[in-house]
Amino acid sequence: MSLLEIENVTRRFGGLVAVDGVTTRVEAGELVGLIGPNGAGKTTLFNLISGFTPLSAGAVRFKGEPIQGLKPHRIAARGMSRTFQNLRVFPNMSVFDNVSVGAVGAMGQSAFAAVFGRRARADAISARTWEALERVGLGGVAEDLAANLSYGKRKYLEIARALAMKPELLILDEPAAGLNDSETADLARFIRSLNGEGLSIMLVEHDMNLVMGICSRVVVLASGRKIADAEPAAVRADPAVLEAYLGVDE
Amino acid sequence: MSEFVRGRLVPLLVLLVVFALVPYGLAKFGKGYFFQVAQLVLIYALLAVSLHLVTGAAGLLHLGHAAFYGVGAYVAALLGTEMKLGFLWGLPAAGLAAAALAFVVALPTMRLVSIYFAVATLAIGQMIHTVLLNWVAVTKGPNGVMLFSGITLFGTPVKSPIAIYFLVAGLVALSIWVLHRLSHSYYGNALRSLREDDQCADAMGVDTVRLKIEVFTVSAFFAGIAGALWAYTTGYVSPGDFGFNTSILVLAMIVVGGLGSLPGAIIGAALLILLPEVLRGVGDLRNVMVGIVMFVSILFLPRGLLGEVSALSLVRRGFGLKWGAAPSDREVGWR
Ligand SMILES: Nc1ncnc2c1ncn2[C@@H]1O[C@H](COP(=O)(O)OP(=O)(O)OP(=O)(O)O)[C@@H](O)[C@H]1O
Ligand SMILES: [Mg+2]
Repeated sequence: MSLLEIENVTRRFGGLVAVDGVTTRVEAGELVGLIGPNGAGKTTLFNLISGFTPLSAGAVRFKGEPIQGLKPHRIAARGMSRTFQNLRVFPNMSVFDNVSVGAVGAMGQSAFAAVFGRRARADAISARTWEALERVGLGGVAEDLAANLSYGKRKYLEIARALAMKPELLILDEPAAGLNDSETADLARFIRSLNGEGLSIMLVEHDMNLVMGICSRVVVLASGRKIADAEPAAVRADPAVLEAYLGVDE
Repeated sequence: MSEFVRGRLVPLLVLLVVFALVPYGLAKFGKGYFFQVAQLVLIYALLAVSLHLVTGAAGLLHLGHAAFYGVGAYVAALLGTEMKLGFLWGLPAAGLAAAALAFVVALPTMRLVSIYFAVATLAIGQMIHTVLLNWVAVTKGPNGVMLFSGITLFGTPVKSPIAIYFLVAGLVALSIWVLHRLSHSYYGNALRSLREDDQCADAMGVDTVRLKIEVFTVSAFFAGIAGALWAYTTGYVSPGDFGFNTSILVLAMIVVGGLGSLPGAIIGAALLILLPEVLRGVGDLRNVMVGIVMFVSILFLPRGLLGEVSALSLVRRGFGLKWGAAPSDREVGWR
């Protein structure tokens, strides 16, 4: 059984088929790249997996159980967390409080517990928040407002918030967008090290080098269809990919 | 002075003023009128703090808060006059009735976003107000309800103004403490995440719709408690006190004090109740002057007299956490 199984997943927007019968999977511990030209349906596929967009057809199974039709927070609670392509941090909250939402979202704190609860739960949430913050190296700016962070740091903040949920599968939508080459290289190392600790990751990226460099398998979408699903070297040599994607790029 | 002491100082000072200085002054110099003003400040502080939870923290623009205040007041007054049920029954019943009504209207409303939600709460407020005004058989319509029985605790009537004041102050303090725990905790962080980006909060595992319904209901519960306190202390409720104007007044309090700031809500309530009283001497111009003060304060302090960021760090120190003192110290967060 794979960690995530995507089976014949389809999504139509009116006449447009944004994702068209895609079947693939993520094995536990894998780092899978998802690439494709603009408008290929990558973000839509992420939205389908994470419950933000309902499926038109097909099935998604996470840890062997069907998750299509579940609300995003239910899917998140099962151990999948995501980031967004257009950076979505909570701007008027401190960095610490931003990350704590991931921890409290996963661990829960009821109104009753907030009022009368003992400290143990709150302290556990604090500890988990710190752990995630320090994992991405933002411990030193914990008290700053998220809005005042640099763009690059906000990217890490978003990842820290997702990590605070202690997910089994992390899906990242273009984490390197807007970063310069050295920042991208740092991010690549960071994603690799997360994966090295056993976290399964699915990564959408425009930056071919990043994906080819760190992923063990690459899925290629074009116009909503899967045109390749193989190791980086094989994908690079695939004529269909060259035509659909690399051909456009180079 | 340690951070802990400094953080504890402000709430201690406030409690000292509310429970010692004010009652002392009232007993010594005050007449009935000053007691009314002091109680009004307390009741509006509770209204403002309960609205803070929904509008300031969770970011839901609520334009009908006064209606739940009114429901609480009428439930307390009618239970007292019609069913001879005293304070100990009337007070929780008022809160629960307001909460139950809020829960029912929240179920369909909470899926609405931004301005649509605001308009829906406006409509709910107007509807409840119209019912209070026109359901003459039950609410006595525009004449209002007289509650002669006052407050009775365990069979003993509480008559002395100072005892009533302490009772109101105690209940308001207890209620605000509960709201403070909700706002200043990880639960509160989840509320603020709704305001910032509720879709994103959803992706973090926060059940956004449920949380919104919950916070709307809890807020109405305390508005209902405030209404009951109003009914018991003034002995008279009429629809005029629970209309749109009152909702807007409470909204103005939390904005002037600092949207998202719980201490700010208390400051705003005190300011907007006391200012017109202080300005009584200038006659008809006083409402204009109150307007000018509000306008100027928003112009120069758009984040309020005590904005959210400063309020949160102040409160954190009150928890004994070192927020704002030692960066990257692990002693931050909530307890
Ligand atoms: N909510 C929506 N309503 C209508 N059409 C949509 C919607 N979301 C996406 N689309 C369309 O679906 C197609 C796939 O979009 P998607 O955002 O998934 O592409 P992408 O691969 O993520 O592209 P990019 O690399 O630019 O992020 C596009 O043609 C887009 O216009
Ligand atoms: Mg995209």
